[in-house]
Amino acid sequence: MITDLRFRLPVALLLCLLLHTTLLAEVRVAGVMPDIMLLVAVAAGLVAGPSYGAVAGFASGLLSDLLLPTPLGLSALVFTLIGYAVGLAKAGLLRESPAFPVAVAFVASSAGVGLFALAGSMIGATGLMNARLATVMLVVGIANGLLVLPVLRLVRWSLAGRPPERAYAE
Amino acid sequence: MAVYRRSRRHRFLLLLLVLTSVTAITLDYRDGGTGALESLRQGARDALAPLQGVASTVFEPVGDFFGGITRYRSLQRENGDLRAELDEARGARLAGEGAERERQALLELMRLDFASTIPAVAARVVSTSPSNFQHTVVVDRGSDKGVAVGMPVVTGAGLVGRVLEVSQSRATVRLITDRSSNVGVRLTGSGEVGIASGNGARQPLDVEFVAAGTRVGEGEAVVTSGVDGSAYPPEVPVGTVKSSNTPPGAIAQEITVEPAVDLARLEYVKVLLWGAAPR
Repeated sequence: MITDLRFRLPVALLLCLLLHTTLLAEVRVAGVMPDIMLLVAVAAGLVAGPSYGAVAGFASGLLSDLLLPTPLGLSALVFTLIGYAVGLAKAGLLRESPAFPVAVAFVASSAGVGLFALAGSMIGATGLMNARLATVMLVVGIANGLLVLPVLRLVRWSLAGRPPERAYAE
Repeated sequence: MAVYRRSRRHRFLLLLLVLTSVTAITLDYRDGGTGALESLRQGARDALAPLQGVASTVFEPVGDFFGGITRYRSLQRENGDLRAELDEARGARLAGEGAERERQALLELMRLDFASTIPAVAARVVSTSPSNFQHTVVVDRGSDKGVAVGMPVVTGAGLVGRVLEVSQSRATVRLITDRSSNVGVRLTGSGEVGIASGNGARQPLDVEFVAAGTRVGEGEAVVTSGVDGSAYPPEVPVGTVKSSNTPPGAIAQEITVEPAVDLARLEYVKVLLWGAAPR
């Protein structure tokens, strides 16, 4: 699995990182920007299951951490858990409604932002838990819901069209 | 059996990644921004800087388009403010040449000349923070130009923030509106000192620890206190008092301060080569 991810996944991650740090950092609603790096974890979980979700989440989180003045590893931890959880949830749910990925992206992205703030505060990062957190969760959830379809295409390409793994059923 | 093995493999991978993340967090905290992980961060930032520069140029028109949509209300408000200012300026001009000269002289007198003796490095803001929590900007000068963690950053209008992280060619500046930012300030009217803390982007600062009986006027200038051990040099303009209120029974006032610098539109700043200190 890791071998297959060596080429396309880094390219996709780099593209997302550049979008995240340039274009999307300027596109803010109520001062909040979409979190495409978190969305990569969500999309990987949706496309290919919990293991891919966790690996893509870890990689995208680590890249985010390299650019943010937060503890290195915090985003990696949160995105890993979110990618894994989305992969598990996908395996346990009947879906294939067009609205399914949008709904998952909304819920998982909002949860990811909340988990990031909670975990960061627990390890001593300041300024994360505040009255604005609910707004940030809501706006990131909506924005990521709107972006999920193109990101799903990118993640499908990056995983080279591999068949989805299954969490519990063969 | 295959199902069990697959499920166990998923959990093992998850555990491995979680433990790696937790180890990275622990090492980062233990090193306090000086160890191998910080070097990795600095290297990554320097390596990505040229790519980010290209991407910024490519995406700029798209960003401006969406920025115009998402900031439509504030642009409309700003347009109204500018029209009002223009009307005032026209009024002032019509008030007569003598009055205009007097006004200019007063403005000149009130102009704060701060930090002129401190060597500084001019820098361009190349990006804003890709975060919904930290309020920072990245500038195109780093340790190779003498920039170090803790140095104050200003514009001609006043205080911008303080260098939070630095790599060879880039520095991240924590703005005074960041929720983690605290600045020792002095009210120019009374001379009272307090702490100005950030409230997030486009929000006024809160000033704490100013005694309840202190006379505070709306529009009063607020500057850095520069007391011993301060992270900022004295007399740098921070902003002007927007409101003050003393709740019944309180021993300190609740003061809000509008930053002197328009932090949403930073383009060029100066890093004062002064008092580099640990984070």
